[in-house]
Amino acid sequence: MTDRFRQDLVALVPKLRRFAYSLTGNRQDGDDLVQSAIEKALRNAAQFQDGTRMDSWLYRIIQTLWIDDRRRNLRRGTNMDPDDAHLSDEGKAASLPEDRMMLAQTRAAMADLPEPQRAVLALIAIEGLSYREAAETLDIPVGTVMSRLSRAREALLPKLGLSQGPRQ
Amino acid sequence: MTTQPTMDRDRLAAFVDGELSPEEAAAVVMHLADHPADQAFVDDLFAANAALAAAFAAPLSEPVPPALQAVLDGKGASAQIIPLRPRLRPAFMAGALAIAASLAAAVVLFRPAEPSNLALGPVAAGSPLAQVLDTLPSGTPVTEADGRELMILATLPTDTGHCREVEAIDRTAAQIELALACQGAGTGWKVEVVLKEPLPTADGQDGFVTAEGTAAQGLSPFLDQRGAGLALSPAAEADMIAKGWTP
Repeated sequence: MTDRFRQDLVALVPKLRRFAYSLTGNRQDGDDLVQSAIEKALRNAAQFQDGTRMDSWLYRIIQTLWIDDRRRNLRRGTNMDPDDAHLSDEGKAASLPEDRMMLAQTRAAMADLPEPQRAVLALIAIEGLSYREAAETLDIPVGTVMSRLSRAREALLPKLGLSQGPRQ
Repeated sequence: MTTQPTMDRDRLAAFVDGELSPEEAAAVVMHLADHPADQAFVDDLFAANAALAAAFAAPLSEPVPPALQAVLDGKGASAQIIPLRPRLRPAFMAGALAIAASLAAAVVLFRPAEPSNLALGPVAAGSPLAQVLDTLPSGTPVTEADGRELMILATLPTDTGHCREVEAIDRTAAQIELALACQGAGTGWKVEVVLKEPLPTADGQDGFVTAEGTAAQGLSPFLDQRGAGLALSPAAEADMIAKGWTP
């Protein structure tokens, strides 16, 4: 393994933590996921092809580990951050500052999405991947990326108070 | 000026996501100028993207946590857990060590004599279990005639062939079985290990059960002994299923 590989990996950690956070909805679970992914990446460094995107490679590792873990945890609901969990309590939530409330609402809406849709939305809307890059990362066709993205936004926008768009 | 949207939502989304060529994007911009409803949708998409980016932005402005830095420095604790081979499937959950320590109490190894479809030993060709192992993609739940819920969790390549992790939930008996079935070159499936743990109490909502996944962790040493590699991607797994598990 080259020093360059390790350096690139270190530089990616903040983005990897963001991606894992958006998948798991929970900071600790997200960091556990990133830790497993980094261990896996370091052990399998030889599989990484120079000249390809290391971020996509790692997003893929994270997503695969996450799906594995979700299967093992038997249809368990997403663990939301305790800070966000009280959103079901209208009284308390109302006392949150408006922008913090909006962020918490966004995280709650993200956690409500089916996992395949959540992964696609995270890669495109948050991580800035192209449809093609997201398709390659998730090992699915571009058309599937687009339909998942569309359904994810259909579910997400109303929960963010953003449902003023055209009806079809 | 019209109140009816005349542009496909996927195209508007592609515009927001930067998927269109400059010419295509310019055409959308021209369209939006006199289609306020479409403009509102585009604004909503931009707003949602901004909200998502902000909602999960915290890690970007934080230093790397010590636990992650330790892994990057090659001092990760989990590197020492299993000395047999490189840990290709790291214990996932925090506190995995503590769970492993309690595993002996939580999990009972099945004997071949126990009545169970997931009995240890060779799987008869053509049997229901053999069909599941041969053809079922990972992550697809099936319900058996006796009401048990079966699912393949993952497929892993080994030194000699493949192993598949099989989970069976028996809600009547309130237990979960987790088995590892492996095959080598030219040989059929063989159940090599079966772990059993009580089904955690269902919380009664949406059929969720709050399992801790301890049995799944228990398979790791067996996978390591077999030199199991990274779980196959869905495409690679589909390819093996199509080829009948021949190399």
